[in-house]
Amino acid sequence: MRRVAGPLLRAVGLTKRFGDVTALDGLTMDVPSGRIGLVGANGAGKTTFFRLLLGLTRPTSGEVEVAGVNVTADPAGARARLGYMPEHDCLPTDQSATDVVATLGELAGLPPSAARQRASEVLDLVGLDESRFRPIEGYSTGMRQRTKLAQALVADPELLLLDEPTAGLDPMGRESMLDLVSRLGGFGISVLLATHLLDDVQQVCEHVVMLDAGRLVVSGTTDDLLERSGVVAVEVDDRADALTAGLARRGLTATIGPDGSVEVAVKGDADLDVIRDVVAELNLPLHRLSTRVGTLDEVFLRRATVPS
Amino acid sequence: MSAATGTVYDRGYRPYDGPRGGRKEAILALVKSTLRRALGIRRSWRQKFLPWLLLGIVAIPALVNVGIAYVTRDSPLESIDIITYRGYVGHSSSLLLFVALVAPDVLCPDRRQRFLSLIFARPISGTDYALAKLGAIGGLLFAFSFVPQMVLFIGQMLVNRDGALDYLTENAAVLWQVPVAVALLALYYAALGLALASLTSRRIVAGSSILGVLLVSSSVAGILRAADGTSPATEVVNILALPLYMRDLVFLGHLDEGFRLSEMSGGGVLAVAAYVAVVGVSLATLLWRYRWSEA
Repeated sequence: MRRVAGPLLRAVGLTKRFGDVTALDGLTMDVPSGRIGLVGANGAGKTTFFRLLLGLTRPTSGEVEVAGVNVTADPAGARARLGYMPEHDCLPTDQSATDVVATLGELAGLPPSAARQRASEVLDLVGLDESRFRPIEGYSTGMRQRTKLAQALVADPELLLLDEPTAGLDPMGRESMLDLVSRLGGFGISVLLATHLLDDVQQVCEHVVMLDAGRLVVSGTTDDLLERSGVVAVEVDDRADALTAGLARRGLTATIGPDGSVEVAVKGDADLDVIRDVVAELNLPLHRLSTRVGTLDEVFLRRATVPS
Repeated sequence: MSAATGTVYDRGYRPYDGPRGGRKEAILALVKSTLRRALGIRRSWRQKFLPWLLLGIVAIPALVNVGIAYVTRDSPLESIDIITYRGYVGHSSSLLLFVALVAPDVLCPDRRQRFLSLIFARPISGTDYALAKLGAIGGLLFAFSFVPQMVLFIGQMLVNRDGALDYLTENAAVLWQVPVAVALLALYYAALGLALASLTSRRIVAGSSILGVLLVSSSVAGILRAADGTSPATEVVNILALPLYMRDLVFLGHLDEGFRLSEMSGGGVLAVAAYVAVVGVSLATLLWRYRWSEA
């Protein structure tokens, strides 16, 4: 990974308003190099954040930096470090993938011969075979997504901005795209993956930034967020109902999970002590007490309504 | 079944550490890709046919004129010129049709297919984009207007009965008049054509608009001309004629008497002002249409 000194992305009080609508509201965060998931529902501000990173729109207030380059002061300098794969269709259908990717490589400053060489290499990498020489109008959705990824890679960016890269793909295509995104980290390219599919992020991203209605919900490593899911699973015998009631009497929220275990929301070690005491008081055989690995969906749903 | 003997290498990903150009190189790359598209290079023969046909038609008068001069070079008859250097500038409507065909083709698909979002994700601005398109189309128009004139000049020079040097000496002024007049024509057609094409994402609408605006303005001028008591100044509404006025000012120093605008004093100044206004408004429109990437 080509890790930059300091954070790869830095936003300080980043705000963007369109009239009365606030698309981003005082976003402040540092994000390290790596594979980063940018998650949020539609309208959360993901696309606006991308446009701000690309210097295609100016912030109403605040600042944003890409690899140490202030985007407002030097948008072209920031774009030179970025590769961008939009969600929407954006390919000229009467040209071949080879021509499109090579042309975009040249527009990014590569000499013509290097651009064609790089186009060939990245099209190989994304798995576009001989069809690369045919007009794009005959491509499937998966091939078009691969072409879009190839053009984003052609100039060897420091950071790839991927906007919903698995949109419209069948399950195999989705897995294949996520596998490619995972491999990019090994090639030294950081990735900012914007999506509302939290499974995708959980599968490939090391760091997660969650947005809700333009506000930062949470930013942290995927592992930390999942471990902080704050739910422990308690497995006893068939008296789970008694345990749930006992925990409720001691002020803990407990429910019976689909596997029959009791899932208890805990805030700290003291709550774990309470669980132990209740199990002992009820003279229950304790089979298992473990932190339940949650999902990013749960983290998002729990935190989205209470922005930090 | 024979065992596979080949080896598949996963070449993985190689970082690029070669040279990288800046804004200038990016603009040049955009000019080159626009030229390729306009001329149908790396496209099907159908997309090559019309541009090259139209550009070929532009060259016909030069070739015919030189051919006649060659055939009659030993004839005692007076040499026949079917076209003059001045008359050649803006003579062929093929150039106009070329603009109506190509200007929409190099702009509209980028917007319609949302390719602009990929272009502007590079270190290139909306102004760079507009200027690159203008440079490419203007350059093409210049080349395909200028080269036939040079063919005409060199051909006439070589077959001249009094010798090449005499011809060169007698027609030396053409060597600056032609490029200047042709450049003014190319700038005008390119700016107007691209400005109109930038207003829509549909090629057919853009092409029709280009031809429509020019022909309607010409028709309106004709109606005004037919009406009693209208000033010759109303001729400037005919924006189709403005580059021809510029041509006359370059070659003759005044407007040709065939133009009604020449009847009024200051007609030349008015023509220049109208030309500058049309080019200025066209360029402003073109830049405005791509301003969003600067926001």
